Amino acid sequence: MRLFLTTALCTLALPALAVEKTEVVAHYADIGLATYSDALTTAQALQQAVAALVATPSEATLQAARDAWKAARVPYQQSEAFRFGNPVVDDWEGRVNSWPLDEGLIDYVEAGSALNEENAQAGLNVIATPKFVLSGAEVDATTITPDLIATRLHEAEGIEANVASGYHAVEFMLWGQDLNGTGPGAGARPWTDFSATDCTGGNCDRRAAYLVAATQLLVDDLTEMVGNWGPEGAARKVVTDDPTKGVMAILTGMGSLSYGELGGERMKLGLLLNDPEEEQDCFSDNTQNSHYYDGIGIRNVYTGAYTRVDGTVLQGPALADLVQAADPAVDAELRAKLDASVAALGAVKARAESGMAYDQMIEAGNAEGEALIMGAVDALVDQTKTIERAVTALGLDQIAFEGSDSLDNPDAIFQ
Amino acid sequence: MRAILFCLLASPALADIPEAVQDHILPGYAAFARASDSLAAVGKTCDVRALQADFHLTYDAWMAVQHLHLGPGEDAGRALSVLYWPDPKGMGAKAQKALLAGDPAKLAPEAFAQQSVAARGLLALERLIWPADTLPADPCPLIAATTADLARVAHEIDTGWQDYARLLTTAAEPGNTAFLTRAEARQALFTQLATGLESLSDQRIGRPLGSFDAPHPDRAEARASGRSARNILLALQALRAFTATLTPDAPLTLAAFDKAIGQAQALADSDPVLDGIATPGGRLKLEILGQTVTAIRDLVLAEVAPEMDVGIGFNSADGD
Repeated sequence: MRLFLTTALCTLALPALAVEKTEVVAHYADIGLATYSDALTTAQALQQAVAALVATPSEATLQAARDAWKAARVPYQQSEAFRFGNPVVDDWEGRVNSWPLDEGLIDYVEAGSALNEENAQAGLNVIATPKFVLSGAEVDATTITPDLIATRLHEAEGIEANVASGYHAVEFMLWGQDLNGTGPGAGARPWTDFSATDCTGGNCDRRAAYLVAATQLLVDDLTEMVGNWGPEGAARKVVTDDPTKGVMAILTGMGSLSYGELGGERMKLGLLLNDPEEEQDCFSDNTQNSHYYDGIGIRNVYTGAYTRVDGTVLQGPALADLVQAADPAVDAELRAKLDASVAALGAVKARAESGMAYDQMIEAGNAEGEALIMGAVDALVDQTKTIERAVTALGLDQIAFEGSDSLDNPDAIFQ
Repeated sequence: MRAILFCLLASPALADIPEAVQDHILPGYAAFARASDSLAAVGKTCDVRALQADFHLTYDAWMAVQHLHLGPGEDAGRALSVLYWPDPKGMGAKAQKALLAGDPAKLAPEAFAQQSVAARGLLALERLIWPADTLPADPCPLIAATTADLARVAHEIDTGWQDYARLLTTAAEPGNTAFLTRAEARQALFTQLATGLESLSDQRIGRPLGSFDAPHPDRAEARASGRSARNILLALQALRAFTATLTPDAPLTLAAFDKAIGQAQALADSDPVLDGIATPGGRLKLEILGQTVTAIRDLVLAEVAPEMDVGIGFNSADGD
């Protein structure tokens, strides 16, 4: 209660705001709806390309499916700014974007590569194995369905590395393992892996069935999330029911993605481990784009502007307006830092496009690659500091404590 | 009344930043650097028994500061290069195998500093001096390189903190762009405490605990050297000491720490590598300790944070 009062009083102390929090969180939710809707339509385009691939496997149809997958990543990665701070999104996210994966669970891999001392199923190979035992119970995978993937295979035996669904499972189906280490080149799965007449890799019918089912599941999951951002959607309500908490959710999403997730887990750690599998889109060598659009997404939710896949721009009342009214210097600083991180992530993307793939950048001793990645990491860490300043400027720094059990009953521990 | 004061005063009159820096952080890193020097000296001799003794002293010293993820420890991945854990895919062992059989030039100080953090630091050394299987080659050159690298990193952190400490203690002064207010510096320190408790609960306790049906003592930290439960105890002692420097007025939190430390001590005495958690009775002990740690975290938010006038803050563990 005391903390709640602190928040209320600090908030009252702010000058009158031109833009209201209610408008900001409503527009934020509109951007959420637009971003997930774009993720859905591009996933549906991927689904069509996958249908064409399995109907008439060829170099051209495989390439078209790969291109569609890459296009689908563009809006999805921008949606990641909506994840942290909103449990409706965060609890769902594992179904669609889990990584890294023990891909040997799904399909054939190079001998000796399906090793994970904590995962007995790292080499299960569902595509080659219609019946198997998981957690002591027999699983009949004779027919590969979205339900089988979602309820039996994904995170099988409670192990996160058993990723059976989502973008990265589909990515593995389309590219296969990248066996080039930190050298040039992505995964090179041949189109004949899906061919009924010239089948390579064995079980081409089951491989095609898996790809079709996993893509269907991705479309289903995205459809569900679009609904969550609709007029009465649960994710929208999280941010609009209490606009103050909604504003905090926007900032939490920005800060957690910038620092702990993108800057830390995805970029810095990969660099420190020098392991080629430590890049997020490791089969397709598309990591530079996924990171770049994360950066764009963080900026979108601050400036209240989102450029849709069809080129139209959604613009409206923004968190930036609230910060500007509370402390113009913090707003200017944050805008500059968001631009700087997008530029630094853009430099990584540009260098990847000019011939140095992301997994080459993280090779031990690659000074140029290290400088590029650390440039982006530093920019992301730096902007997180200013995001914290924005939290303080808006008087929200005590918000997170509400709802803590110990707050009302600190003696509970000794009972 | 206090709530209003919080709003009006930029910083409550608490002597938190200097105490934490002078009484906790700087002496902790200095002791770690001294221990690592001794370890590196023994590393040159390759006397395994002496190495094992110094390994424990160095690990103990690291546990006193391992919760600090800001400044020079965080830069250049230094803290991760001291302790990379967990490593579920065995990247460290794989990289070390390549180093044992590979070009000796990679063991030269500058080249070795570039190697994966999973192949360096305390647990890399543990795999060499408590080997699970026969090693593919003479480990002595790699042991010497590993211990020398650890000492280098320890001194880089220790030296770097002399400057970083100044940034913390001169928060809000002209020219300090790292910490524009004293509240920002307090926030940075408090975040270490909150994150340290979270990581203790999720990792050192949570990983081996697994689920009731599938406990995983094999996933405990530093099993080969027998330190799993001891590290939980030392982490708690370090976090308690840190808390005491951050605020003089957190009696409930400190009492909860004492309770947890008692539970961890009993565990360290009876079940050093947590093998017992495979039995219901043994599991219960670690579960209760985990609950106490969760309760401390709630108390820290309810009692310490208001005293320091801070929130939770973003931290490097915010990701998956």
